[in-house]
Amino acid sequence: MSALSQKHLLGIKYIQKSDIELILQTASRFKEVLQRPIKKVPSLRDITIANLFFEDSTRTRISFELAEKRLSADTINFSASNSSVKKGETLLDTVRNILAMKVDMVVMRHSSSGAPVFLSQHIPASIVNAGDGTNEHPTQALLDAYSMTEKFGTLKGLRVLIVGDITHSRVAGSNIPLLQKMGAEVTVCGPPTLIPKHLPELGVRVETNLKKALQWCDVANVLRIQLERMDIKFVPTLREYSLFYGINRELLDSLNKQITIMHPGPINRGVELNSDVADSGQSLILQQVENGVAVRMAVMYLLAGRE
Amino acid sequence: MNILIRLAKIIDTGSKHHNTVKDVFIQNGVIAKIGSNLKPTGKYTEVKLKGLQLSLGWVDMNSYFADPGFEHKETIESGCKAAAAGGFTHVCAMPNTMPIMHNKSMVEYMLSKAKDNIVNLLPVGAVTQKCEGKELAELYDMFHAGAVAFSDGGNPSLNAGLLERALDYIKAFDGILLVHPEDKSIAKHGVMHEGIFSTKLGLPAMPAFAETLAVARDLFVLDYTQSRLHFLDISLKKSLELIKNAKKKNGKLTVSVNAYNLLFTDEAVGSYNTQFKLNPPLRLSEDIAAMVKAIQEGTVDTITSQHQPHEEDCKKLEFDKADFGMIGLETSFAVANTALNNKVDTETLVKLFSTNARKILKLEENSINEGNRADLTLFSTDTKWTFTEKDIFSQSKNTPFIGKQFVGKPLGIVNNNQVFLSSELQ
Repeated sequence: MSALSQKHLLGIKYIQKSDIELILQTASRFKEVLQRPIKKVPSLRDITIANLFFEDSTRTRISFELAEKRLSADTINFSASNSSVKKGETLLDTVRNILAMKVDMVVMRHSSSGAPVFLSQHIPASIVNAGDGTNEHPTQALLDAYSMTEKFGTLKGLRVLIVGDITHSRVAGSNIPLLQKMGAEVTVCGPPTLIPKHLPELGVRVETNLKKALQWCDVANVLRIQLERMDIKFVPTLREYSLFYGINRELLDSLNKQITIMHPGPINRGVELNSDVADSGQSLILQQVENGVAVRMAVMYLLAGRE
Repeated sequence: MNILIRLAKIIDTGSKHHNTVKDVFIQNGVIAKIGSNLKPTGKYTEVKLKGLQLSLGWVDMNSYFADPGFEHKETIESGCKAAAAGGFTHVCAMPNTMPIMHNKSMVEYMLSKAKDNIVNLLPVGAVTQKCEGKELAELYDMFHAGAVAFSDGGNPSLNAGLLERALDYIKAFDGILLVHPEDKSIAKHGVMHEGIFSTKLGLPAMPAFAETLAVARDLFVLDYTQSRLHFLDISLKKSLELIKNAKKKNGKLTVSVNAYNLLFTDEAVGSYNTQFKLNPPLRLSEDIAAMVKAIQEGTVDTITSQHQPHEEDCKKLEFDKADFGMIGLETSFAVANTALNNKVDTETLVKLFSTNARKILKLEENSINEGNRADLTLFSTDTKWTFTEKDIFSQSKNTPFIGKQFVGKPLGIVNNNQVFLSSELQ
């Protein structure tokens, strides 16, 4: 198997286990490239990629851009803050206008869940979902999977805990189906106001006591509490959130095992993670960032039909 | 206009000819003769089709016409054509126009634009000024101008105190409120039913009890005021349980369900299909079963279209940005009949589409008997057909039903000394 079953990466929901395996294998080849003195390959020099960020992003945008440059693709960047979107243009019009300039692939972040699926029904270019609303962020889940595989050898049977605002998290939205497809066990932990009511029907365990949840897991993927997404306060105060759902050294040391800590970034230090955890040897956070470039290179390389 | 309807089965419990197959001759808008092998003299149109059925004209209690303000979506003329094609001789127009229909002159505008139309337009005045849920609109004045009922449409903004005042106030003229039950503090910005599919799609969702909670609250207010209230848009098993109990105590409480809720579950949203972005949203199969049972038991009084026309640009969007609603006048009977096929008899269907709404809205009493005004719908509960774009008479085409096979079809209406016939009868 050396080609993806899909033309787009719209979400983990839409790809198969064999696609995930192929992306992870390809990523490890690119990770090797990134260790070389010349960190660049000519694979996509005939490809033009548009990075369409309808929602603010720093690290994901930079990671994609760097991945594109390492593959020698031509890139254009678009961000909604200085664009026609403010003048009332529809998503479809914006994208069609950009595609008219002969763009082959679109990397898109958008605030509406399902926006990449909608776009894929109307445009010919390949689409990489760089985060849609509260739905999915598939490349984040892939780089998380890559980082966990690197550390543990396999995802099968691995106990993964996701902590925080599950309802509004596209990271959880992609991590959960990916981990399930790869045979890991998933538990989520957070205030009940931030856990979707129907998650157990999807085979996900819910635990509201953080210490119990941490004691269970091999890896804790800690999410950023996204206050900017909430028009209603789902927790009384950040102080209270950090008291009951924040992870600090003392808590980690009270467990009878060493667990691994991950975070998709950016971290609210002192809220969901204390510095003595984030910067410790138990943390995989910077490896995640590094692996992100290799994983995104793999995704775009494979979507461009290179084998 | 003279028309001879050959061999139609008359479904009208108020008619001497109920459940019999007869010829019906209509002369100058009046039922001149009902009998067998009629041979009228003079000029007339004759219609004939195997399996033809005839009832009093149908009434839709839940339609949004976008005129004035959004004439690019629907005008009163195009909306009335859609109603005629759907078998309706009467259609309630919700007040959510621009400006809002919240005073006498707006009611008069509606009525004057629909004057001389084959379809009787029934204005539903706003309960509160601008449908803002703050101050009562001039309900009495609108009633005198011809408003048949009052509603803030899909705007569930009435707090309990204002609902109490409105229900009390309309007792002076035995008016009725049409209420869309939805607690916005629960439904928030939800765009579909909360369940396993909304979770998988990562879409903001409406917990089902947003409807049930509003029903429960409104029933307490109704119990206190002892006024007349009609629930529109009921879509849940639990809501129907509450309503069934409440109806035992209050004979004036009535309720309708939308046809589309009988046919699809939330799974139909599929890959973010905005044609299924609806409010009430598509529910679960247990809710459909409960609605069917409530229809069989008589708890549900009417089936409505919730006709909401939108141009393509309002639907060809990201799911959360698309508008709610579908056009429904042309399809609501076919959708309901397909969903209820072999589960209810034709007499019950006629109650759901015609006679119950006539009583609720206190329309003129009528029956299919000689000498009465011809206000009739021709239909067939057996016709198998595929809905296509050419069956759309609305100015907007936002429907998920194109290409869908139905059982049962509205075939024409006779009303106001005019006739509309479907292609089968032409």
